[in-house]
Amino acid sequence: MRVSMHSEEEVFGQVKRVLAELFELPPERIVPDANLYTDLDIDSLDAIDLILELKQITGRKVQPEQFRHVRTVGDVVAAVRELMRNETAA
Amino acid sequence: METRLRTWLDRGSRRCGTGLSFVVFGLGGTVLSVTLFPILRLISPNRAVAQRRINGAMRRVMGLFIWFMRTLGLFTYELHGLERLARPGQLIVANHPTLIDVVFMLWLTPEVGCVVKRALWRNPALRWPVIWAGYIPNTEGAQLVQDCAQLLAGGRSLLVFPEGTRTVPGRPLALKRGAAQVALASRADVLPVTIVCDVPFLTKGSHWYRVPPRRPHFVITVGQPIPAHRYSVGGVPNALAARRLTAQLSAHFTRGIEAVMRAQPDVTATNPPEIQSASL
Repeated sequence: MRVSMHSEEEVFGQVKRVLAELFELPPERIVPDANLYTDLDIDSLDAIDLILELKQITGRKVQPEQFRHVRTVGDVVAAVRELMRNETAA
Repeated sequence: METRLRTWLDRGSRRCGTGLSFVVFGLGGTVLSVTLFPILRLISPNRAVAQRRINGAMRRVMGLFIWFMRTLGLFTYELHGLERLARPGQLIVANHPTLIDVVFMLWLTPEVGCVVKRALWRNPALRWPVIWAGYIPNTEGAQLVQDCAQLLAGGRSLLVFPEGTRTVPGRPLALKRGAAQVALASRADVLPVTIVCDVPFLTKGSHWYRVPPRRPHFVITVGQPIPAHRYSVGGVPNALAARRLTAQLSAHFTRGIEAVMRAQPDVTATNPPEIQSASL
């Protein structure tokens, strides 16, 4: 049951909402391939705010290290799902 | 024919003057770094006093250098609203058209710190002067914002060029949001300073010996302070507040530059005698 709750589509929807609200981005620009830094003009300080917001979604402590290799919106979705999987397993 | 000769002489003299200024600045900076600044540090009872004295000396040196370049006829300038720079603890943000903007700003602003290349911390001559002056290395992200906010909390003003580097001529300003983040983190007022040079001069990517066809004129205008903390009223997240504040700054600079450029007469077309007199 939980696995279906964290479907890729659903997590993408949540990430998209967070990005749109936090950075006032037009939703149509938030696609899985969009690079956070070059396409969406997100800087390293924004990334900290983003990680804080993602904490709300996952309900878990998010370590910045877990996002070090994140470059695209799709990477964010994958990282969030990974966190949730750990949560389910724990 | 005579006009062309005079124009040629004028450009030649400004080219020599620009080269000379680079030499004077390079040599002067190095000499002061191993003489005046260490002496000021040695005769000061503690770091705080040394910092104040070195900042004061820096200001005079920068003023002297501006005077030197103006006397050589390299440029003219006018300054507006300088009294607003005197209030301590402000985040002073300026646009960055030319190489010498920082020289102007360090001359005009009392008790000011700035962010400088962190490579200087490994430079044997400049390492200690930048430390004694209380300048901040350009690290990144949260560390840099924290260092800047700490300097402001200490009561000094901080000079930041939010573009991060000189404006690319002909392109719209591209401000990074770090300055806004510092303002939000420190709750300091933001004081925008618009620097306009009416012809491209010592711009990014240009060679120093390519002097402009006529003598550049600087117009430096200190704006009204912006209470940055207003942007985060009502729990607006920092990311959003920083975007809005940065957009306002960008609009302020762009409007200011346009206003000055509109008001400047096109000297090349309408006023050749002024150019000639510069070389006489």
